[in-house]
Amino acid sequence: MNSEFLILFFGVGVFLVGFAIVFAYFIAPRSSTPQKFEPYECGIPTKGITWLQFNVGYYLFAILFLIFDVEAVFVFPWAVVMKDMGMIAFVEIVIFFFILILGLGYAWKKHALVWE
Amino acid sequence: MLNTGIPLQFFIILATIMFFIGVYGFLTRRNLITILMSVELILNSVNINFVAFNRYLYPDNLQGHFFTLFVIAVAAAESAVAIAIIINIYRRFTTINVEDVDEMKY
Amino acid sequence: MNLQDFLLMRHELLLVIFAAIILLAEIFTGENKNGIRNLSVILFSIITVAGFFPVPEGSLFGGMYKTDLLRVTVKNILNIGVLIVFIQSYSWLKFDENKNKISEYFTLLVSTLIGMNFMISSGDFLMFYLGLELATIPIAALAAYEIYKNRSAEAGVKLILSSALSSGVMLYGISMLYGATGSIYFDEVAPMVVKNAMIALSFIFFFAGMAFKISIVPFHLWTADVYEGAPINITSYLSVISKGAAVFILMIILFTVFRSIIFLWQEVIYVTAVLTMTIGNLFAIRQQNLKRFLAFSSISQAGFILLGVIGGNQIGMSSVIYYILVYIFSNLGAFGVVAAIANVTGKENIDDYNGLYLTNPKLSLTMMLALFSLAGIPPVAGFFGKFFLFIAAAQQGFYILVLIAVVNAIISLYYYLLVVKAMFLNKSENPIKYFKSDWMTRIGLLICILGIVAVGFASGIFEHLNFLSFGIN
Repeated sequence: MNSEFLILFFGVGVFLVGFAIVFAYFIAPRSSTPQKFEPYECGIPTKGITWLQFNVGYYLFAILFLIFDVEAVFVFPWAVVMKDMGMIAFVEIVIFFFILILGLGYAWKKHALVWE
Repeated sequence: MLNTGIPLQFFIILATIMFFIGVYGFLTRRNLITILMSVELILNSVNINFVAFNRYLYPDNLQGHFFTLFVIAVAAAESAVAIAIIINIYRRFTTINVEDVDEMKY
Repeated sequence: MNLQDFLLMRHELLLVIFAAIILLAEIFTGENKNGIRNLSVILFSIITVAGFFPVPEGSLFGGMYKTDLLRVTVKNILNIGVLIVFIQSYSWLKFDENKNKISEYFTLLVSTLIGMNFMISSGDFLMFYLGLELATIPIAALAAYEIYKNRSAEAGVKLILSSALSSGVMLYGISMLYGATGSIYFDEVAPMVVKNAMIALSFIFFFAGMAFKISIVPFHLWTADVYEGAPINITSYLSVISKGAAVFILMIILFTVFRSIIFLWQEVIYVTAVLTMTIGNLFAIRQQNLKRFLAFSSISQAGFILLGVIGGNQIGMSSVIYYILVYIFSNLGAFGVVAAIANVTGKENIDDYNGLYLTNPKLSLTMMLALFSLAGIPPVAGFFGKFFLFIAAAQQGFYILVLIAVVNAIISLYYYLLVVKAMFLNKSENPIKYFKSDWMTRIGLLICILGIVAVGFASGIFEHLNFLSFGIN
């Protein structure tokens, strides 16, 4: 196996992320106010209990996310064998995505993507 | 590569225990969401079975792994529909306790 | 793999295109969805006709998908049934509360049909499982279709949870079968099936899962509630189309995969058939709600169907398919009348039907014909359906089972006649008023009547099915 390639990939990944964090640490402005330690940093300080129930309407997003997220599981095996199978694999994945996009279009049309 | 140290029996026993916990939960729980979770437990035990059999007994084909992928995807679709219906149950009955959802009886 | 090969799965492809067209129409049209309703019925009629063109035999995807003349015939039968359901639901979809969900109705229903077609054509357990799930999940959404009704939501949740459990149990059986044989392809599993504990256990799990879907007796508890709560058209669809497809594939799997343990599964089916017929009948007698009544009658019909399965031979296969064909027409006829009356008056109880003959003679006669066919009274098709099933079981020497079935058929005659008596003999203070149903409902009922009469008299149908079933065992 090309383990050196894997090590390189890993190293570059660690370096890029680490560099961004360290660089931001040095150049970013900092301030420390009580609001900083609130669960929700933005806006006014919270009053009363913060354990509120979520709007049940958000379940639509959860369901849509669940479906479209899990469908990605089929793309990975496809990507592995795509080169060997050639054109037919491409056509099949296009059909697959067409059906998924139909579902997305339907959700859009039904205003399921609107954050109320 | 094959000899991972954990015998196949352990996986099968784990899957069997999970399966029956799932069936037990399905039959005894009173909350619809918990019942749904029990079903997921059953499906996951099936997944363990498939992957373990494939890995230990038939390592030269991939049928078990692929079955698992499809089971995961179908389980997601199933729970999405089930949750949508349960939300509707909550809107109609304002509860998701199975004992209160009993409009129809013998 | 080229285009010619894809034509093998013509039934499924046409239905997928149909579903896509309806969904696209939903996305790109405005508020008025009436056009979609007409478009769906017309398109589906074309698909039904297109299904009858001859198609070559063969298999696809390395044996995952198989097609032959018998499977194509079953698909065509299911297509006809779905077309009748579409026609019958036409006026129900006109209601204000259903107007904004018309395309969903058609898309989901056709999705389940796609699932059943794939299930029928499956050559391995993966395709079979996917088809089965595609055939059950959308139907649960449809059972909860009337979201403003408590009962509809309850039916939906009962259906989805029990079908999820049953497919989980069935999958566990399949996974053990995979562990024991090392394959999920029917052709490769079949020679590996021998009589040992693991195979027997996996068969029991598998059969329990399938029994849920067909509502065979120890696993029938969801049936009555779901049938009562779901919209009538969905109930009729569930009781005939889903059941027919599931019975057919169960038979294929029993006959091919579990061939070598036939003595094991014959015992299982013997017991469940007796239980299913008897308990279905006994509960049907005391029902007042017609949908519930037809639910229990459909449970007992499933018991009769098992009589054809138990033989494991050619005539068993053909008699079951013939029975499914008859059953589609008769049950859809009965449900069609119930739906027509419920749409206008909202009444579903047997008592409400008192004196129906005086006010609505045509509907009463249709109902009578359908119930006679379900009961198996000689001149109509249902008699021949039951007769062939009994022959299939008797040929294998199950005489006692046939005797029990005959007794049950007589009991079922009693409660079917109760409804007929209510319509024709009972007097009522305020009977259902005379009404004219719209022309689509009439066409649906007319197709059912023609089917009940024609299938009974055209003896060639059974011989043709018998010819196609050759070589299954």
